[in-house]
Amino acid sequence: MIHLLDEEGSHHLLMGNEAVARGAIEAGVHVAVGYPGTPSTEVIETLAQAAEQTGMRVEWAVNEKVAFDIATGAAYGGARCICTMKSAGVNVASDSIVSVAYSDLIAGLVIYVADDPGLHSGMEEQDSRIFAAASLLPMLDVSDSQDSKDAVVQAFEYSERQRVPVIVRSTARVAHGKSPVVLGPVKKVEVKPHLGRDISVYTRASPVWCQKQHSNLIEKTEGLLPDFERRHSRLDMKPEHRIGVIASGVSWNYLLDAVANNSLDLATLKVGSANPLPLNHIRRLVSQVDRVLVLEELEPYIEVQVKAVIADLQRRVIVHGKQDGTLPRVGEYDYDLVEQAVNKLLGKAPELDPQLAQLRRDAANLAPRRSLPFCPGCPHRGTYTALNQALKELGYGEGEAIVTGDIGCTILGMHPPFNSCWMEVSMGASVGLAIGLKYAGVEAPVIATIGDSTFFHAGMPPSLNAAWNKTRIVVAVLDNEITGMTGHQPFPSTGLNALMCPVDPVRAERILEASGFKDVAVVSPFDLEESKEAFKEAIQSEGPSAVVLRGKCAIVARRQRLTGPPSRVDPEMCVGCLICVRTLSCPAMSVVDGKIVVDEPTCTGCGLCSQVCPAKAISPGGDA
Amino acid sequence: MVEEYNVLISSVGGQGGVTLSRILSNAALLQGLNVRVGETLGMAQRGGSVQSHIRVGDNVHGSLIRRGGADVLLALEPGEAARVSAYLGPGARVIMNTESSTPIPVMLGQATYPKVEEIRASLEAIGCRVHSFNAQRQAQDAGAPRSVNVVVLGAFMALGDDVFTPEDVESALRSTLSGRYLEENLRAFEAGRRALHGLT
Repeated sequence: MIHLLDEEGSHHLLMGNEAVARGAIEAGVHVAVGYPGTPSTEVIETLAQAAEQTGMRVEWAVNEKVAFDIATGAAYGGARCICTMKSAGVNVASDSIVSVAYSDLIAGLVIYVADDPGLHSGMEEQDSRIFAAASLLPMLDVSDSQDSKDAVVQAFEYSERQRVPVIVRSTARVAHGKSPVVLGPVKKVEVKPHLGRDISVYTRASPVWCQKQHSNLIEKTEGLLPDFERRHSRLDMKPEHRIGVIASGVSWNYLLDAVANNSLDLATLKVGSANPLPLNHIRRLVSQVDRVLVLEELEPYIEVQVKAVIADLQRRVIVHGKQDGTLPRVGEYDYDLVEQAVNKLLGKAPELDPQLAQLRRDAANLAPRRSLPFCPGCPHRGTYTALNQALKELGYGEGEAIVTGDIGCTILGMHPPFNSCWMEVSMGASVGLAIGLKYAGVEAPVIATIGDSTFFHAGMPPSLNAAWNKTRIVVAVLDNEITGMTGHQPFPSTGLNALMCPVDPVRAERILEASGFKDVAVVSPFDLEESKEAFKEAIQSEGPSAVVLRGKCAIVARRQRLTGPPSRVDPEMCVGCLICVRTLSCPAMSVVDGKIVVDEPTCTGCGLCSQVCPAKAISPGGDA
Repeated sequence: MVEEYNVLISSVGGQGGVTLSRILSNAALLQGLNVRVGETLGMAQRGGSVQSHIRVGDNVHGSLIRRGGADVLLALEPGEAARVSAYLGPGARVIMNTESSTPIPVMLGQATYPKVEEIRASLEAIGCRVHSFNAQRQAQDAGAPRSVNVVVLGAFMALGDDVFTPEDVESALRSTLSGRYLEENLRAFEAGRRALHGLT
């Protein structure tokens, strides 16, 4: 952040997402909007910190579709806009993206999407390049921080010239990696609000207009091929080269390392755009070489196009990639995978030291398995403990009542010792799944546990559905007043906007009540008795019922210095039953000589352990 | 001039591995070196394994260290040192905190945690030079219980290094951290440097 507004020509080490933010500033962006999603989140966070100096309007939207609609309105109205999301967010926004692709923008609109090969943050390994092909939109594919910044600046040029949204696609390794960036000039763009009614452009109401728009879109995107080939891709080939490598994204850097380490002399093509692909470069390369390796993470997207070009040329060129099993479709690439593939291309035997490899494996096998627990002081720990107690008291044993989980920290209730959540699909899906399970005839209680940010994102419509149709489910909103998993971004119930200015919080219970839920209980998950009773009542209720469990995220509480003094264990009274550890699985607890010890710097004094201790050996901190 | 120098940081979420990576990369920048950093941020706050790859030098492009390519491993937890052994080779230096972060199944007796000596021996078998000490205790004694990361950094500097100098690292520490954290961390840095003599 400190370097974000520095002058042109200065050198900085920037995270890919910070570089995207700087690109937006250099491009004179007026509106930045997105929904938090690892690994894309830091773009809006970074821009929010600079909003005051830049005068940019920076917002978190309640979901990606809303974000994209806001971005489109801004671009129709004449203001440059960047809209950010993770790969799953593209799916949410896609309904609008595919439609807006058919219209003409007034100002530039750049969609920034970050994929996650290797699943550093969970969910699917979606390859969003395929989405460019589906929406027919232009897409740049970046490989490091400098590339990310430059791509964003240039994407605005393209977007305005061709009057279409341009997608800049990154991956977790690039978005969260840091590499040197030279800052460029900051463009000053005056915004004159544009008012121009033209329903043949801004609606899809007539098939005649729509097909015209469709063919325009194809022309607009294909019209970018010369620029994309010249500025974003690079073919380095000498007349004697008979072997070539094509690489995109982060793989390009591993290839450069492999070339340097092994003093290789072969033709290389960097592919910096996914739509349109640099087909002329590809054609030149495969017209000359006899063997080619394609390096791209996830799907064989470039590889199949390379094969199509070869087929057109009626040449015999051997292609190594995913389809011949040289490289995997699953997981991220790294240097070693790339080097192995290059060795295969060159027919070189890899240098192996089986004894050393075995020693490394022996050492790695010593590493303990780590599950992801709730943080010390997390309110969700209390929620799932109380839910389990309520189900037990109502006579439902483990596995006899269904808990549909949702996206975010709340899904960690699937792990021991809670073993609560059964399924996780997509933002807000827990509620719809619960409804459907009831229609399938499940007589046992079905409880949807959903975080507050997830509830506002996509959990409200299915809740309305349940209330409307009187489906007997329980909606439990786990309200920690923040978007937790992505690193604590504010949203409607936080009481802060993206710039951390106070606003009136929106409460989930008010929305549930307005939807038709009766007697929505609002409880503290740090009070197990109160939460358990609320769950029991909700489960026994006839109609759809809801419980809102409101307790501050422990990480936020620690930052705001709102944590209490640590719990204290009386070693004389501790009988070593370990019920506290078995029930709560709290990282602030450890077992020393068969008795419980609380790690003081880690404990937030949430008090749950003192509530579950049958020997009354643990007292909440602060008591004299 | 540095051609290629690779530092790997391995930790459990919440131990400050990412902050340590920021300090070291800032130190490299102060020396005018080319730096690339590969970071796994997804689970950085939640008790999962966290690794930072810091690559320094003129010949460096990718942000991930190759297998066996780490020159130095700063391990804030012994189990996490073992986890990244694929990146280690003969001659790699390992500075390791011996205080373990025990997973819950181990606490409940459902799984076992290896002895620290066993981990040390397995890394030495690869050919690593292992320097281990209880950095957690040093941090507590220095009144900076959450600064294990900087204690390990101090020990790394006390051992001497061809690329990073204590002066640049301390400047980077001062420019990266601020306020009350800085004061605590300067004490932790000093404690780590002094702990060299206690290194086994």
